[in-house]
Amino acid sequence: MSSAAIRLERVSKRFDGRVVAVDDVSLEIAAGEFFALLGPSGCGKTTTLRMIAGFERPDSGRIHVGGADITDVAVHRRDMGMVFQSYALFPHRTVTENVAFGLRMRELPKPEIARRVEAALAQVALTGLEARRPAQLSGGQQQRVALARALVIEPRVLLCDEPLGALDRKLRQQMQFELKELQRRLGVTLVFVTHDQEEALAMSDRIAVMDRGRIEQVGTPAEIYGRPRTRFVADFIGEINFLESEPGAAPRALRPERVRLAPPGEGRVAGAIETANFLGGSTLYRVRGDDGRLLLARETHAGDRAPRDPGQRVGLVWSDEDAVTLER
Amino acid sequence: MSAARNRTPFDAGRAVYLAVNALLVAFLLAPIAVILVFALNPTPYISFPPVGVTWRWFDKFFSGADFMNALWLSLWIAACVLVLSILIGGASALALARGNLPGRAWLTAFFMSPLMLPAILTGLALFQSYLLAGLGRPVWGLIIGHTLVAVPYVIRTTLAVLHNFDRRIEEAAAVLGAGPIRVFFEVTLPLIRPGVFAGGVFAFIVSFDQFPVSLFLVQPNGETLPVVLFNYMKFDLDGAIAAASTVSILMALSVVLILEKLIGLKAYVKL
Ligand SMILES: Nc1ncnc2c1ncn2[C@@H]1O[C@H](COP(=O)(O)OP(=O)(O)OP(=O)(O)O)[C@@H](O)[C@H]1O
Ligand SMILES: [Mg+2]
Repeated sequence: MSSAAIRLERVSKRFDGRVVAVDDVSLEIAAGEFFALLGPSGCGKTTTLRMIAGFERPDSGRIHVGGADITDVAVHRRDMGMVFQSYALFPHRTVTENVAFGLRMRELPKPEIARRVEAALAQVALTGLEARRPAQLSGGQQQRVALARALVIEPRVLLCDEPLGALDRKLRQQMQFELKELQRRLGVTLVFVTHDQEEALAMSDRIAVMDRGRIEQVGTPAEIYGRPRTRFVADFIGEINFLESEPGAAPRALRPERVRLAPPGEGRVAGAIETANFLGGSTLYRVRGDDGRLLLARETHAGDRAPRDPGQRVGLVWSDEDAVTLER
Repeated sequence: MSAARNRTPFDAGRAVYLAVNALLVAFLLAPIAVILVFALNPTPYISFPPVGVTWRWFDKFFSGADFMNALWLSLWIAACVLVLSILIGGASALALARGNLPGRAWLTAFFMSPLMLPAILTGLALFQSYLLAGLGRPVWGLIIGHTLVAVPYVIRTTLAVLHNFDRRIEEAAAVLGAGPIRVFFEVTLPLIRPGVFAGGVFAFIVSFDQFPVSLFLVQPNGETLPVVLFNYMKFDLDGAIAAASTVSILMALSVVLILEKLIGLKAYVKL
């Protein structure tokens, strides 16, 4: 499978001439990269993906795949795979027929189609369900059929719009591992749309964080989490404390795990624990400082230390190097 | 204990539900049962209660040349109307749901509403048009009349399917390499087919059963079954009418069952 790089060049799209869904977006996605488009609902992720697929035409800007300008190429000639959130399986066809569809459109010989469909179904662990209709499959199985159907044509690019959104948490996590593993093994360029920041951090090589049609920041999960550039990114990814700064100075932010709970009297802020969210491996505390401000602190549970009780008085300690300076 | 208490309202609700359904079915089927009773009753006029069982009215119906010619003409016309309505109605529904027609919302509302032109007006209008155009009363004129009344049924059932149609399925086919024409034949058509054929069943029955339009448009010696029965009833009110009605009902039922067998109207319906 030869994968291809994708380049978006100042792409914009507005609907009905008023809503700006995608606003001057430029992106470089490397061949073989697992790339996530992350952002809140309505920020333009799906529209961006649909322009790459060819379902929507940009109002301005160009889209290149594998070095060629495909802005004006019809959907069915783009040679891409796509997995929809609703899966969009053909309800009137069996699993085999669903997966074979793309190969049949390419008019490959029957024996080759049969061989490749079988291999694709084995790849996503669906052997034995060939004769079922989509309505006779569980959500996770439908998801796998959608994946096999997209991958069997050996696309240069695989586009996924919240492909795991309809699965329950446990299955979702399992599919995250499997999808990541499959992508790595096949080396296909994967553009993955999600509004779930944990999912994006866990799976991607790089993430583009979007807000209101614009790209806020592009970077590796560690960069996005550890060095957010804007208030929006810092707030959207994980939990964060915004620190008070002089008027006119750049805002600063601090991750809760960089804040240590100390006995009262130590540290920069004294206060009382207001709520304690037990998260299994750690607990997230909301501490109300005596000066009235709220701060978050995360404490991991080494050994069998029980979470602290709300009401307990604590001091909050952090060092200045751990705070991130934001651009805006 | 608490589980038993929780079940009581559920069971009562279910009992009411079943009772209402049974009543409804009985109400719908009662006239058919009455017709069958009349068709088998040997008295020389329609009367109640029945005094015995006889096949003579069925004999009379099946051996009457007038009846048989009319039955075949009606079947033949209904078959033509079925095909025409499916083609015209299916295409119109697609245009209404997908096309960029001006006034499309208005047209859709018009076709989806039960308030359509009374068939008798359609019959009268066509009768006058044919008269003005000097066409006489050709059979195809009758077929056009029936089709005009039948097409909205196909439009309605097809629009209902198109309304719930997930267009992502078509997009999935396109991204897999299907051009617009292949998308239509591989995905769109198979998925709307149950709606189109359900409308086709209505179209067949509307034509087979059509009286007001036919009244204006039939030729004196080429009358459809409902017109022949109407004329017959003006002079005789015997069991032959009931026998003919019974046969009509069975015909309509067979069409529904045959279409169901051939294309499986239920195939994609989730229960
Ligand atoms: N076909 C359309 N017609 C009109 N407006 C649209 C259309 N598609 C999207 N929009 C608008 O464009 C904006 C971006 O939509 P988009 O679907 O790309 O968001 P998204 O990031 O995928 O959101 P979500 O996480 O909810 O799926 C939204 O304001 C949406 O209402
Ligand atoms: Mg979306």
